Amino acid sequence: MRASSFDAQITAIVFDTDGAIFALGDGSVRFEGGEFSAAHDGAILCAVAHPSGNGVITGGDDGRLIWHRRNDAGVLATSVQRQWIDAVDASAESGLIAFSAGKTLTVLDAKDAGFRRDFQHERTVSGVAFEPKGRRIATSTYGGAALWFARIAEQKPTFLKWAGSHTAVTFSPDGAFVVTAMQDSQLHGWRLKDQKNMRMGGYPSKVRAFSFLSNGQLLATSGAQGAVLWPFVGANGPMGREATEIGFDEGSLVALVASQPKQGVLAAGLNDGRVWLADPAGQGLNFLKAERGAAITALAMSADATRVAWADEDGNAGVSTL
Amino acid sequence: MTDKIPVTVLTGYLGAGKTTLLNRILTEDHGKRYAVIVNEFGEIGIDNDLVVGADEDVFEMNNGCVCCTVRGDLIRIIAGLMKRQKPGARAFDAIIVETTGLADPGPVAQTFFVDEDVKAKTQLDSVTALVDAKHVMARLDDSKEAREQVAFADRIILNKTDLVSEAELVAVEARLRKLNPLAPITRAERANIPLDQVLGLGGFDLGRILDINPEFANPAHGEPGHVHDEHCGHDHHDHDHAHHDHDHAHDHPHGTPSSGARGHAHEDDIKGISLSLDRPMDGTKFTAWLDRLLGEQGQNILRAKGIIDVSGEDRRLVFQAVHMILEGDLQREWGPNERRWSRAVFIGRELDEAALKAGFEACAA
Repeated sequence: MRASSFDAQITAIVFDTDGAIFALGDGSVRFEGGEFSAAHDGAILCAVAHPSGNGVITGGDDGRLIWHRRNDAGVLATSVQRQWIDAVDASAESGLIAFSAGKTLTVLDAKDAGFRRDFQHERTVSGVAFEPKGRRIATSTYGGAALWFARIAEQKPTFLKWAGSHTAVTFSPDGAFVVTAMQDSQLHGWRLKDQKNMRMGGYPSKVRAFSFLSNGQLLATSGAQGAVLWPFVGANGPMGREATEIGFDEGSLVALVASQPKQGVLAAGLNDGRVWLADPAGQGLNFLKAERGAAITALAMSADATRVAWADEDGNAGVSTL
Repeated sequence: MTDKIPVTVLTGYLGAGKTTLLNRILTEDHGKRYAVIVNEFGEIGIDNDLVVGADEDVFEMNNGCVCCTVRGDLIRIIAGLMKRQKPGARAFDAIIVETTGLADPGPVAQTFFVDEDVKAKTQLDSVTALVDAKHVMARLDDSKEAREQVAFADRIILNKTDLVSEAELVAVEARLRKLNPLAPITRAERANIPLDQVLGLGGFDLGRILDINPEFANPAHGEPGHVHDEHCGHDHHDHDHAHHDHDHAHDHPHGTPSSGARGHAHEDDIKGISLSLDRPMDGTKFTAWLDRLLGEQGQNILRAKGIIDVSGEDRRLVFQAVHMILEGDLQREWGPNERRWSRAVFIGRELDEAALKAGFEACAA
């Protein structure tokens, strides 16, 4: 394991094809190889790997969306009125980039600098996610989730309603379900073909992270004493089925999870500073960081599931090769 | 772990002087680093890196608590501000939240008790209401929000006192006092209040509910039941003027007192009710009564604070509540020469004073 320490908070970690990239609260980006990019004036609030697989896209509280590579950085867009950029996603499939600032969702094309679409919501957008093919985008907001076609200029979104505040959103890898995390410590899901609602609750704490694995058959989430796994098998997804929990430890909470949809392993970062890796089909936990410390605040897994990077609240970070 | 960042909420209608005060907080040479969350509809005119616009987005929670509303924009903004925090150091010495005159202070305050992330990083210090001495009477008559902001406050700054007479000030203070018997009223001109009277008050800190001051539990000058004690400061006021002339209220259509600001009873729909008891109380009975009261009337109770003398307990039981959110704890021991008595203040809408008094006194051991 390689460890390092930063004098600012690590707000996000992303793997591109070459390695781990750390986005910091002082507006800088640090590459695993030591390269450095300081482009934001303020904190980085969100980050995602660039659709090309080279470098990271970050959104900041300076209202700028920046693409950082190991030897270069450039502004891709600025938000309307320089509002904070709260959420970002990108699709390698379609080459599109989507970010939210305030009530606006903006879509860019990585290969066409002239392309930009701005879509308005009634309430502030909290999360942005592309469907697997990268042609539609789901946003989470107060009162539900909105579905947009990424390229169409004039459109009314499909609004998936559910009372309450939705704080993050994701698509299942088969594109059949949209799942949101909610303010009141639960998940909500919709089956898109009939907009059937799925309530996924029982959490002792807010769900900060969720991630699909095992070819989309499992959705792993944080927010409990262990990592919670919801089965997404068949047309009904988790409807009528029980969640399972792995790595249960009464003395700690899983703060973050990370996985890759095509891989069968799950990484979890705990609020007591530990990080483990597990195969839900197998036995036991492999502790990548066994010593306790400050809470884990960022966690990422490489696309081939051979590497896991973490960071804690005190600015310590590490990358493990499995 | 670093200390939680104190948060001060500044309420007040347009023109009360909030922007003047915020500009002072941001520009005065105090060596502190403040983040200010302003409302996007307010008086623009503050230019600073650490000013963030909020959209007063009120969220209902799904947790079954009927009055549990929070400010979603604050949850988002505070999470974002915390990302600037460096390991081992606080990002800001304090956060100040400005609200518009139309804002309900309840959801703002509840955000700091309900959201686990906000609660982990910040601590609500106090709610300060700025009112303008010249226009406050009219605002209190026509605006429910103005009355709620005064009633909710930990401190009231009576600004622009240079624009009205002493007699008018006394009348204003008497009305503010009835709406909110807990909050000290500080007079100011051009928002020239010392910052230590706005920041770091500990208004929600149980450890600092030491001084439910008899002054504040005492009806105002000129009101029935007022006790002339050392706290009333006769030398400052000519209390004859406290007999405020309510004539203008007669223009209101007569209705039930709750139908408007001041019906024919000349009473605001919101008032503070002070209760006290000189006998020790049964702790179990009192807790059950308070739980039931907040459960049934929490929507109407804006704030409550109290110090209770529990039978068989050497420590003082202190509590504070915002709507249905209650915090209580056993605090320090009563002093050997201290008067052991229970007192509580409930500030709210349509409260039945006689029923509250009877319920409170029935908790006697």
